[in-house]
Amino acid sequence: MLMSNDSGADKADENQPGSLEEFSERLDRMRGAPEEPEPQKGVSAMGRAMRLSTELLAGLFVGCLIGLGLDRWLGVSPLFLLIGIGVGFAAGVLNVARAMKE
Amino acid sequence: MIDFRAAGPLEQFEIVKLVDLPLGGIDISLTNSSLWMLIGTGAIILFFVFATRRVSLIPGRLQGAAEVLYEFIADLVRDTIGSDGRKFFPYVFTLFLWILVANLFGLLPTFPGAPHGLHTFTTTSHLIVTLALAMLTILIVIVYGFAKNGLKFFKLFAPSGVPVWLLPLIAVIEVVSFLSRPISLSVRLFANMFAGHIILKLFAGFIISLFGAGGAFALLGIFPFLGTIAVTMLEFLVAALQAYVFAVLTCIYLSDAAHAADH
Repeated sequence: MLMSNDSGADKADENQPGSLEEFSERLDRMRGAPEEPEPQKGVSAMGRAMRLSTELLAGLFVGCLIGLGLDRWLGVSPLFLLIGIGVGFAAGVLNVARAMKE
Repeated sequence: MIDFRAAGPLEQFEIVKLVDLPLGGIDISLTNSSLWMLIGTGAIILFFVFATRRVSLIPGRLQGAAEVLYEFIADLVRDTIGSDGRKFFPYVFTLFLWILVANLFGLLPTFPGAPHGLHTFTTTSHLIVTLALAMLTILIVIVYGFAKNGLKFFKLFAPSGVPVWLLPLIAVIEVVSFLSRPISLSVRLFANMFAGHIILKLFAGFIISLFGAGGAFALLGIFPFLGTIAVTMLEFLVAALQAYVFAVLTCIYLSDAAHAADH
């Protein structure tokens, strides 16, 4: 990194000091690598696990809630709760599969 | 003697009324939660007022920080939503900053001896606050989705390439999956902040208990002390990460709404 400054110093002489070209060249040199590492890359598996588990549980929760609501409305307990658990679990797995892809 | 009751790990989440404001039948009193929301919002406004007061081509420190934040979210919105995303930038930016500042301000130490109502308070550690933010996001997704795609928005629930006999089942599952979004969005932020603050409080409480025991136990207090430092650093990471995750997911959901008809 430090050694590469030598070749850059010659180029910088061609531009007037203080000009925009000179400044952006200096900026590029100071920045070094063109891309910074992604901020979320280094983050633990913990955050990922948290994300996936909430996705699964949220699907299950909504499925159960809709099932309970329909049961109370139609008075056929526990038919829709059972269906809701199945659908909710499927939705949760779908959520997890989508979250994995991102 | 040291008051051990202060070590209760749930006391920090208690809502305390500061100013009574009954408006009709609705209680809109100023609580410690709303006080910290106001402090956070005020801090963001102050930061940007100072950062943009003397705008120059070669940014100073404050302007540089503001530009980094701006570019971070602008890139995120552009990459996730695409060209339609520009109009959502203000919303995502506000959401990200507000959650970030609320999370970070919750980590400020309380001024020793301050009355309970003025203790540091993490607004995002209450489910109702994060749920309100998530509901707002989903509401925007639904309204924008219908405004842009009309009835084709329902295509979101019927992915292409599914056989017709399977479609009703898939549609039901997709609807439940869609409805679970605000819940997973809000529970994740709330649970992270809530759990982190409880752990922090427990570890810190161990130090006081061990010191109170005296003798050789007081020396053991160094371990929870180191633990508290580690957890505090982790909490700073979590605070920033959860604000980022909330912003990312908001962008993904908005992108779904923008491109529902293309499926």
